Amino acid sequence: MARDPGRRRAFGLAAVCASLAPLIWLLARDGAVPASAPPAPAPGLRFFDPIHVAQPPEVRAEQRRLLQQQVRLTDHTYCSYLQNSQYPHESRPAGHNPDQLYPNRPLLEASPMRVEGGDSDPQVVLQTTQSRVYLAAGETATFSLRARDAHGQAVPLVVTRALAQGMSYGAERAAPRVTLDFADGGAGAWSAALMPDQTPLASFHGTIRTEVRYKAGGRDGFVLFDVLYSPALPASWTGRRSESRDGGSLQFVLGLDVRQPGRYVVSGRVDDAQGRPFALATFNDVLGAGAQQVRLTVFGKLLHDGAPALPLVLRDVDGYLLRENADPDRLLVPRLEGKVLASAAASLDGFSDAEWQSEERSRYLAEYAKDRIAARGRLAQFDPGVPLPASACGPVAGGAAGETTGQR
Amino acid sequence: MNRKHTLCTLCLLGAASFAQATDYTLWINGRNPGGTPGNYGDFRYWGPDSVPAGVNKKAVNWDGRSSIASQSGRVRDALDCFCTGNNWCYIASYSAGDLLLGYTLANYGGSRRQPRNAAPNAAGVCGASGANPQGGWNIKWVRVASGAAGGSEIADAGAWTTSEPLVRDLKVGTARAMYNHNATRGIWFYMYAGARGTAYSFLLPGQDDEVVAYHSSGAAAGSGARSLCNPGDWLCDDLRLGTAANQGGSTKWSYHSVEFRDDGEDYNHYGDGNWAGIIGVVRAAMATTAN
Repeated sequence: MARDPGRRRAFGLAAVCASLAPLIWLLARDGAVPASAPPAPAPGLRFFDPIHVAQPPEVRAEQRRLLQQQVRLTDHTYCSYLQNSQYPHESRPAGHNPDQLYPNRPLLEASPMRVEGGDSDPQVVLQTTQSRVYLAAGETATFSLRARDAHGQAVPLVVTRALAQGMSYGAERAAPRVTLDFADGGAGAWSAALMPDQTPLASFHGTIRTEVRYKAGGRDGFVLFDVLYSPALPASWTGRRSESRDGGSLQFVLGLDVRQPGRYVVSGRVDDAQGRPFALATFNDVLGAGAQQVRLTVFGKLLHDGAPALPLVLRDVDGYLLRENADPDRLLVPRLEGKVLASAAASLDGFSDAEWQSEERSRYLAEYAKDRIAARGRLAQFDPGVPLPASACGPVAGGAAGETTGQR
Repeated sequence: MNRKHTLCTLCLLGAASFAQATDYTLWINGRNPGGTPGNYGDFRYWGPDSVPAGVNKKAVNWDGRSSIASQSGRVRDALDCFCTGNNWCYIASYSAGDLLLGYTLANYGGSRRQPRNAAPNAAGVCGASGANPQGGWNIKWVRVASGAAGGSEIADAGAWTTSEPLVRDLKVGTARAMYNHNATRGIWFYMYAGARGTAYSFLLPGQDDEVVAYHSSGAAAGSGARSLCNPGDWLCDDLRLGTAANQGGSTKWSYHSVEFRDDGEDYNHYGDGNWAGIIGVVRAAMATTAN
């Protein structure tokens, strides 16, 4: 029976496609279709090598261990993301950010006394404090130091010289240098304040390094204090502060007069009515010039789950204009220290207890779920009939029968 | 005709969807130069590229001496290239590469990204794939060899050259204040901490691998350093595995877990251009888990 040539070509094309499909699938399954061909793997056992019945027991044991490891890893990845992404990344429990809650506390450090030549004296411990690492225009940084012996007893210390200089690199013009007057505060503690805008460093933008030389325990030592100074304010707080309920969440709204447009990163701490840290709220978005609003959100479900004593209080807000690919990378907004705004909300009425939903979250959960199913499928295929380990977050989608799937 | 077109369209769509969904393994180097920035196939910093180190591995080369902020664009370019659209990434970072990645995620991790086609030009920038913009990147997890996101006391002591902006960034107080280290977008950082350190032990508190102390490689949270050690040292608090609080009560950054602690003091900081030291431990882990 004669056949239509067009139909033959169509079937031929389909046959070519069909014959290539398994190859395409196999390549894609192991992610082996990069823009450029990956290098040939070294000889030896590979994770996805075909499984042969005749493999020695130790090889099978190692393959089983790796497969089990993948099941645990993919399960942890999926389950932890599912749990932790109930709230948006911009509104997190305080307990997830323990080192971000008191940004205005001084930085305390202790180290063996450092002496010239790169050596140190372990018999003398230098204790230092630094009030700020990042310094906005008009702000002051204070430094202090004292020395202790191995038993915690004071070691007499005298500051012999302290110079603060802007750090410059390569062909950059050398930055000004100023002398800092350290004063003996008693009990062997010395301190000084750096106010760049009161010195020739006022217009310098970058790291100001203060090198302090001192004598303690009969030896000459030195210590370095760095602050990152931004001499110009890219924006100023207008003083307008309010709260709103948006999308079932509480928002603290702060007015910002933006002089330099760009990406602003602002963080605020939220305490409960007893002053206990409850949340860290972050704003990270692009703002145009002019009057703008920075919204710091306490997510509705976070309120329901945490059940804080109300009303909540916003305090200690800091932020900066992020300068992309630039060094220094930021211009600081004046920090708002202490209490900024107390919410009027006295109950949870009107706040949503729904989980955060977003394109990002859906994308991650879909991918992590796929990986989890695939890992379990490989282990099930390797050890048919052996029960799979329980998941940390309930039954795996697709059920036992579906656990052998999972390719892309 | 319609049937032919339908068949081929289905076939091509199927092939395209497979081909477009690719996993990659990114390696982000630490201090000192190595591979050519923008050349994702240049693994000179690490070692022979014939060695397995994760599926479709790519070297995210940066100059290893400039500031973290100025080099973040290199990482963003790579993430845009390989970790957007249908493509996902496993990431290995090393030393200052940990600081670089953490900074990038904390500041740009939620920004809108234009999915790219995984075909970079000479500068390491890829063309648009045509897919819709998305929030952040596609990252499965991160393994970190001797992470320096908590800084190094060697930078504090002025023992490294002051001509490198990176050294300034690695000062402990500066590195820890640079960004919110807990803000990883929920992506896990698995930490590998080496302990075969001798040369700078007089500067580095607790256990170290000769460049980075456990407080950083073990992801201990806080604005300053602390002494952390292997179990058995009575004069020093233990760095605990996983996410558990350390002996003495110090906690770890969120989404950071100590996967490997060098109890045998076998691994130093240096890769020696041959996947050596603590890098070798992470490489082996990437080879078996980044698939």
